[in-house]
Amino acid sequence: MIARKIVLAILGLLWLVPVYLLLANASKLPAEFGNYGLWEPGTLGGLGQNMLDAWSRGKLNSGVLSTAIYAIVAPAIAVVVGAAAGFAIVALRLRNGFFWLVVIFAASIFPLQMILMPLFVGYAQTGLFNTRVGMILVYTVIAVPFSAFVMRNFFTGVAHQVFEAAVVDGATTWRIFWRIYLPMAVPALVAVFILQATFVWNDLLLGLTLTQSAEVRPIVTALSALQSTYGGSTMSTVLAGGLLVSLPTVVLFLATQRIFTRGLSLGQF
Amino acid sequence: MSAPTARRAELLPRGNKPKNPYWTSSIGFVAPGVLLVAVVLYLPFIWTSWISLTEYNGLGDPEFVGIDNFTAMFADPGFLVSLRNTLFWVIGTILLPVGLGLLIAVLSHGMPNATWFRLPFLIPYAISGVAVGVIWSFVLQTNGALSQALSFLHLPGADLRWLLDGPLNTVMMILAASWQGAGVNALLFGIGLQSIPKEPIEAARVDGASGFTLFRTMTWPMLAPLTTVVVGLAIVGSLKTFDVVWAMTQGGPGRVSETLALTMYKETFVNNDYGLGAAVALFLTVITVLASILYLRRQLADSRAM
Repeated sequence: MIARKIVLAILGLLWLVPVYLLLANASKLPAEFGNYGLWEPGTLGGLGQNMLDAWSRGKLNSGVLSTAIYAIVAPAIAVVVGAAAGFAIVALRLRNGFFWLVVIFAASIFPLQMILMPLFVGYAQTGLFNTRVGMILVYTVIAVPFSAFVMRNFFTGVAHQVFEAAVVDGATTWRIFWRIYLPMAVPALVAVFILQATFVWNDLLLGLTLTQSAEVRPIVTALSALQSTYGGSTMSTVLAGGLLVSLPTVVLFLATQRIFTRGLSLGQF
Repeated sequence: MSAPTARRAELLPRGNKPKNPYWTSSIGFVAPGVLLVAVVLYLPFIWTSWISLTEYNGLGDPEFVGIDNFTAMFADPGFLVSLRNTLFWVIGTILLPVGLGLLIAVLSHGMPNATWFRLPFLIPYAISGVAVGVIWSFVLQTNGALSQALSFLHLPGADLRWLLDGPLNTVMMILAASWQGAGVNALLFGIGLQSIPKEPIEAARVDGASGFTLFRTMTWPMLAPLTTVVVGLAIVGSLKTFDVVWAMTQGGPGRVSETLALTMYKETFVNNDYGLGAAVALFLTVITVLASILYLRRQLADSRAM
């Protein structure tokens, strides 16, 4: 047990070295960057200043509202759409239900590269290019397969008598879905929501392809742009930007680790 | 009491073939999901497949050219380098993040405070690929933090140009991605280890098996179904590698560190060669789907059995 602990602790410390280097160098003011060694820590004031710089001059501020909207709205719609599909297949016993589940789920197998170009062309023609609505649409659809898969599996664990009893009480299917099945599924819905929100927040490829202006661009795409325009002594600004962009998902993950794990296991097994 | 009974009677099948009384609403509930994936995922999928057989630059009409894009693709040295790099990514991802994930899971299994010991590996998982790239580009700069540490420790390698020479830069980027990806695999293997029944393990222990022998003969075989899923997911994920490479080298210098995902993006949106980009996308898709079958069969079969 002791040997295992030591090995794990050493590995863990090794894992934290890049985090240390990030913090140490994100907290050196650009003007003083050369005065320090790369392995020496900077100052807390420097960290604040660099974050502010990345935020305003690095233009991370303009995309943050959009990104927050994408990361909340798209997974929220997707879990409901996925739950509705799961409800139809399990509770309403949709004909060939498993086939339709596979149809929805299989859409998540192929790489995004397969849809990028048509989306780009199609969005340009329909006026969805570089709009928030367009981004919400694509993020929603990408989250639907996983959420349908998980929700269908979740509803399989619910006794069909629940549905029958509600029918006997005179409830419509619409009402049964919203008042009984959806509330019952909250733990699974939350787990899927958190996984998908993290995915949307961290997305680069769709933001790169389907947006242009700073207001619509997701924040990670903006970070990537910041990185390629800055360099040298302003490295600290870029690093502070990377830290800033990562904080929300890291905090969300640490706060909801159990739910996160449940989401993963719901999807995997 | 009589009304509900009557209602129940309506639910009973009439004739030989039971008719689902909810078929209209079942279609209504499944429709949004099916329509969304059909319009936003399947339709573009079909269009990309068609474009791969055409010459098209985004303007005017696509012109049918048969398999010209595919022959051009395989004749392109840049594509072959990209294909080789993608293969590196697949192998590296199975060895490192999956192997390390298993190691971390096994070491921390059953340990008090296991959560805390796993925490350092999980933090990078929540970070975006771009942020991972930002951090590691900094660490791996020529004469950067890694080089300084190596020369301080009198280890060789301090003068290597980590991100400027291929295929070294691909190897380093795989390491960066492993730093990010090991945690989630540890998490998945951890779930798997917890679900293994304790009795056979205990029995083997009583029989004198311990340490690595116990792991090899008992734990590993019981973990095999899960391992299939984890390895399958890792292969598929590595085939799609884009973010980390985009943030660290943009596939360069030149094209030495491109992956197929990057090649597709560049051919389409930088060179405006939509036909060739679509051909690369389709090629990547075929490999990805083949790799997916490895774990999906199991995932869907489990799900169907529910």
